[in-house]
Amino acid sequence: MSASKGQPKFKTREAVDFVIIGSGAAGGVLAKELSTEGFSVVVLEQGPYRTAADFNHDELAVMYKNELMNHPGWNDPQTFRRYENETARVKRGGPPPALYARGVGGSSVHFTANYWRFHQSDFMERSLLGPMQGTGFADWPIGYEELEPYYSKVEWQCGVSGQPGPFEAPRSRPYPLPPLPVKSSGVLFDKGARLMGLHPQPAPMAILSKPYKGRPACINCGFCMGFGCESNAKSSALVTMIPLAEATGRCEIRPLSTVFQIKTNAAGRVTEVVYLDSEGQEQAQKANAVILSANGAETPRLLFMSESARSPDGLANSSGLVGKYLMGNGHSVTQAAFEHPLNEFKGVQVTRIVHDYYENDPGRGFYGGGGMDARPFLDSTPIMFSQSGLPHGAPRWGLEFKQMLRHYFTRKMAVLGSTTSVPLLRNNITLDPNLKDDKGRPAIRMTYMDHEDDLAMATFLQDRAVEILGAAGAAEIWREPVEGGDIQAHLLGTCRMGNDAETSVVDKYHRAHDVRNLFICDGSSFVSSGRGQPTMTIQALAFRAAEHIARFARAGDI
Amino acid sequence: MTIPIKSRRAFLSSSACVVGTSWLGINMPLLLSAGEIAGANRESEAAFKNLSPRDAIEYAALVNQIIPPDETPGAVDVGVVYYIDYVLGDFMAAASPLLKSGLEDLQGRTKSANPAVGYFSELSFEQQTGVLRLVEDTRFFGALHFMTMCGMFCLPSYGGNRKNAGWDLLGFEHQHVWQPPFGYYDAAVHGQTPVQEDEQ
Repeated sequence: MSASKGQPKFKTREAVDFVIIGSGAAGGVLAKELSTEGFSVVVLEQGPYRTAADFNHDELAVMYKNELMNHPGWNDPQTFRRYENETARVKRGGPPPALYARGVGGSSVHFTANYWRFHQSDFMERSLLGPMQGTGFADWPIGYEELEPYYSKVEWQCGVSGQPGPFEAPRSRPYPLPPLPVKSSGVLFDKGARLMGLHPQPAPMAILSKPYKGRPACINCGFCMGFGCESNAKSSALVTMIPLAEATGRCEIRPLSTVFQIKTNAAGRVTEVVYLDSEGQEQAQKANAVILSANGAETPRLLFMSESARSPDGLANSSGLVGKYLMGNGHSVTQAAFEHPLNEFKGVQVTRIVHDYYENDPGRGFYGGGGMDARPFLDSTPIMFSQSGLPHGAPRWGLEFKQMLRHYFTRKMAVLGSTTSVPLLRNNITLDPNLKDDKGRPAIRMTYMDHEDDLAMATFLQDRAVEILGAAGAAEIWREPVEGGDIQAHLLGTCRMGNDAETSVVDKYHRAHDVRNLFICDGSSFVSSGRGQPTMTIQALAFRAAEHIARFARAGDI
Repeated sequence: MTIPIKSRRAFLSSSACVVGTSWLGINMPLLLSAGEIAGANRESEAAFKNLSPRDAIEYAALVNQIIPPDETPGAVDVGVVYYIDYVLGDFMAAASPLLKSGLEDLQGRTKSANPAVGYFSELSFEQQTGVLRLVEDTRFFGALHFMTMCGMFCLPSYGGNRKNAGWDLLGFEHQHVWQPPFGYYDAAVHGQTPVQEDEQ
């Protein structure tokens, strides 16, 4: 664990131009862009400053002890309930409901690195399809065309490997890197999909297929999902944006800094950010402006914790929509085993995807769309596989169990379907009224149950997956049940953007409607969920936001 | 994304006894070095630190029921008892009461069914299987199963997975660099002839 050398050390009692809360996919981009533009920036990150040397293949530590996700200093529990009339509870063991990494680079350090662009329709489905009663179904205040240059920026500045597919929206530049080498799961998925008349394509991945910008190509070690990359081939904010921010000499990264309040003055302007430092001491960093990029769960939590007499329901929450409309993307998993070894433990998770069902189709009888991909999913690593990798009804112990472990580990793959999530007021992040962390901060309380259309779409994709895997010649196929989940890794929509201050939290430049010098940019800004794989869009939004925020700052309009 | 329910259930149940581990994040370097000691203890067949000799014998019988030896090593051969010994003194210490009461219950069932036998481990393999079936849906068995899987397939430094024997069972090869082709079905794409498993 080591922090970079040569950073400036700003005084907490002297205002910097920007404090950015969170160093992940969005915060990393904003830090790099704004410091490059000449502004002084302090980034507060609650996790430690790890580097590639700190990452390993310790499945027990990463997947079961949640080493990359736990708060580094103290117990910070979360509670979960499906509906608001239930009592939220802390789960016994396992990952927390809001699943995110803590550390410089945020969740981009441990993500799988699927990097689909959104399609044009994702930004305007309310206009295309009409209203959905009882939901927050709405258009974005920006369209794909406005975001496209920033998608290209992400691809070229961070390093994305891929090849345009037949359903992709227009792009101004090609991918900077060719697709990663196809795995057996990709070959089989490709074969089955083509036999079904579909159009599989190489998966866009934020992992380097060739050396790029001083970083090496992927070594196919197989430890991507949930793990940090030991070779720096995964294009996390940690290795793409943070070093460039530090190189400006105007950006100070402060790891192990847990924010618990954004303070405002009588005029309603943000003045400073209060946090606990690595020693557990309270600090307050003054700032001319604050950018909140803490993720779709921590961001609303902080806004609620920053309530004041002027903002009794939470900072920037005059709309009442802070924390609301949480979207996580629905999913279905279809498993298959083949005659010969696939060895899915090697290489990146995903090498082929299908977007034929991306768009809404009224003929299905429900709203939604989705993407599909081939991957080992949870069974690429040995302990996870031994827990849940065998077909349903398989023995759990004994000689037959042992023989099945031996047979299936190398022969398995899965097709993951990822869907839209209908934005619902009932799905949200709030502060738990009864539970606090060890430092007295109210715990995150997640309330979440997928909309019936999300589950229907996930089931539809599972039906197609069964057909594809059958066409590919699978020896066995089995379905995991499609039900509501209580763990969300995509934390979207909880401070949605919009033009109307009564129906959104931030404007189209990510400025809080209520607070002129507060900006919010992360997954919480989303108006719709897309079809999974949101990080690409989070980073495109961050590049765009940085450009506008810098413009405002230069004009004294903050 | 949502972790799908079936996998999630297994995931959670398997993790259910890892409680109170928030301190792990800050103590990982220490924990890992302790883990390396566990591996060294196993290699030297050192005395157990947290299991009594009797408990070690009983756990050996139990974990060999879960992964029995055949032409390949069973759980005991792979070092699972050393793994259990290590984690019960460390990040799974909270599971000790559950295991203790579960083991007592198991011994009670053993004596009820076989009054002449003092301990589960003294039953024949087939008799052990019959007794274990009575408790296979209990939290005790769940914890034992989880620990056995971890001991089979963890990094060897934790005390289990001796000489990578657990990984060998699965066909998992732990190396940091791979080049395509990865498996049978992508060999032709990468310009090679698919290799049958017995040739690999």
